[in-house]
Amino acid sequence: MLRRSVLALVPTALLTLAVASPPAAAQAKDTLTVGLASIVSTLDPHMHFERVGILVNINMFDSLLHKSFKLEYEPSLAVSWKALSDTSWEFKLRKGVKFHNGDTMTAEDVKYSFDRVLEPGQTGKKKSPQYGNIRAIKEVRIVNPDTVHIVTEKPYPLLLERLVFFPIVPRKHIEKVGEQAFGESATAGTGPWKLVEYKRDQHIKLEAFDQHWRGRPAFTHLVFRGIPEVATQVAELKTGGVDIIRNVSADLVPDLKAHPQTYVTTAPILRTHYVHLDMRHAPFDKKLARQAANHAIDREAIVQRMMAGLGRVVPTVVHPSAFGYDASVTPYPYDPKKAKELLAKAGYPNGVDITLHSAFIEFRPVFEAIAQMLTEVGIRTTPKMWDPGPAWNKFFQTEGKATNGYYGSWGYYSVFDADAILHPLYHTEPGGWVGKHYIRVEGLDQLIDQARSTVDQSRRKQTYSQILRLLKEESPSIFLFHQFDTLGVSKKVEYAARGDEWLWLFAAKPKR
Amino acid sequence: MTALLVRRILRLLIVAIGVSVVTFSILQASGDPVSLIMPEAPEADRAALRAALGLNDPLPLQFVRFVGNAAVGNFGHSFFHRTPALPLVLERMPPTLTLTVLSLGLALLVSIPVGILSAVRRGSLLDHATTVVVFLGQSMPVFWTGIMLILLFAVQWRFLPVSGWNDWWSAVLPALTLGSFSAPLLLRIVRSSMLDVIHLDYVRTARAKGLSEWFVICRHALTNAALPLVTVAGLQFGLLLGGAVITETVFAVPGVGRLIVGAIRQLDFPVVQASVFVLAMIIVTVNFAVDLLYIYLNPQVRVR
Repeated sequence: MLRRSVLALVPTALLTLAVASPPAAAQAKDTLTVGLASIVSTLDPHMHFERVGILVNINMFDSLLHKSFKLEYEPSLAVSWKALSDTSWEFKLRKGVKFHNGDTMTAEDVKYSFDRVLEPGQTGKKKSPQYGNIRAIKEVRIVNPDTVHIVTEKPYPLLLERLVFFPIVPRKHIEKVGEQAFGESATAGTGPWKLVEYKRDQHIKLEAFDQHWRGRPAFTHLVFRGIPEVATQVAELKTGGVDIIRNVSADLVPDLKAHPQTYVTTAPILRTHYVHLDMRHAPFDKKLARQAANHAIDREAIVQRMMAGLGRVVPTVVHPSAFGYDASVTPYPYDPKKAKELLAKAGYPNGVDITLHSAFIEFRPVFEAIAQMLTEVGIRTTPKMWDPGPAWNKFFQTEGKATNGYYGSWGYYSVFDADAILHPLYHTEPGGWVGKHYIRVEGLDQLIDQARSTVDQSRRKQTYSQILRLLKEESPSIFLFHQFDTLGVSKKVEYAARGDEWLWLFAAKPKR
Repeated sequence: MTALLVRRILRLLIVAIGVSVVTFSILQASGDPVSLIMPEAPEADRAALRAALGLNDPLPLQFVRFVGNAAVGNFGHSFFHRTPALPLVLERMPPTLTLTVLSLGLALLVSIPVGILSAVRRGSLLDHATTVVVFLGQSMPVFWTGIMLILLFAVQWRFLPVSGWNDWWSAVLPALTLGSFSAPLLLRIVRSSMLDVIHLDYVRTARAKGLSEWFVICRHALTNAALPLVTVAGLQFGLLLGGAVITETVFAVPGVGRLIVGAIRQLDFPVVQASVFVLAMIIVTVNFAVDLLYIYLNPQVRVR
């Protein structure tokens, strides 16, 4: 049975290609094509957490809030908002906004969107992977068709940040077509483009939505193509097969800058790199050894020579654009002599052997440079590269076994707040992510909790300054830098990279 | 004849069981998919998902469940795509099969005549040139060939699309790439097996009968020389089917190879299992076809 159905595919396969047409001509002027490394597994904006999916979703859906190019809050589906108390916010909704299927967006849809992510999953049915992002929300109350109240469990300073990517979906429509169809063929939002065709691992074709409340986007057709190979993406960009590609690596930048039909646009983004140190075991159970490691790294050289200058040194892990950053806390200077002294004081006058781990394949050369720099001051490092798959299981989740540390990065989920990195990386609560395995810093948990449970921003700021000083002194990580988002763009299109890793293509314009 | 068929079908079943044991056990050793599905989620959420996916059950139970379902074509839902795994795999088969068939056809089309010619004209300029091309072809990695072809035909000359899977034009470069990988080996086989038979007595007899050289080569020599070619071409089919991954990646072809690699990276057990199973079945089927061809080409097999 199986064999027959498989064999039956051969003629079908040949037939599907039988309608021959000439090679793809240069694209029509009103089409914008984006090359992505992969095509997301569902278009349902609440049922994945892949960057390549978010980039598509934001052009098809709106959230309550939006961020301008300067990353300031802008009204989107909510026209205004205000805090009613420490735990309750009021949002006035935009009137007369249409979904792609013709329904009008109301408070019902807003409540439904939150509820479908917050509701516990039934057996066999997976809960939304975005639950963690909004679980501080206790309830969404409908006041009238144009007003909702969002109530949080505790004071939740990150609420507005979380609402910038939280797409509002049409309740009646989803209830009618079902979740499966909504994610594949019957996707409907309120955004600038609506779905035409979704083909897994191939492309997503969108078309301008005439009734979008911002007006019509400059490009009538928006196509996302899945092109896994970087060399192919570059070839497509040069020949006009695609107009925008992402994650252009440092070595490709000069080529795309020099090419007559392409240019490069970059923006600093939140993705911050670090080497987390295992504080449970020697040698990094000693503060002086951790500080020595921090003095051993020539961060500026890595950024300039290995990343083509597309990065900036960060003193701790809190990004300069995140709320809570304090410029008075400065980076560790590169000082190999001091590093050796500190290491000797920590009890390792003859150096020490360690192993560091990483699954951050794109930055393998950087990882190896870090290992070399550590080795030069006597922290003789074996860098161990893992496949992104099984990596997580093998090192820091292994209790009671020295793993020394790992090199990785954190993108803050595009939330510009210190809490978005401090809590997942350093908090030791059992529900936390990395912190519970590696981190042993007295008082850090309490400070993180204190800063996240008030909406008084000046008090939060003070607490974060205190945390930054504590982090620098205790050095639970080797602090490194943040990277840039680098796009290769066709000269036919005008577009600038954003600081939040978004591809907000409503802003893209054809160049004359 | 019937006994032969029964034996082959039995072999097919044994392979099916073998494949399911292997895929099931390899994947069990490779890690926890939950930490990949939600890497940054709290432990409580992960535990819930692990339970929902049945990953906490004892291994033998998981295996029995797997085999029982696989028997009726149910490999479970993909962890990532949230749809049944088998249709997901079948949906990706057409590009991969098309590519495999096209490239093997292309390889045979080139390797048979050139192989015969260089055997017949052994030591000629053509023969030497062929040897060089074979060396080159076998030492070039597929991804490199692919990228070079793109640069030449799509970027420089612009008469073929760079990548994608839209029409016959977009199949040209990937088929060429994949074909250039298997053509050299086939060519070598044709040449050496032709050389083996061309000096045998029966060929001389055929010539002595006054048959035309063309007829002698094609009818008498080639039929016997074809046996190793058929074997290797059958094996190549399997190799191309699996080896299409790199070509599919370079040319952004939405084939099953990319699906598998993606699924392995995401530890999407059901999809890996379904695709390995389907591919193994196709390969077994092709081997079966090769056996039948043998019977046709070599009467001795029929008699035994």
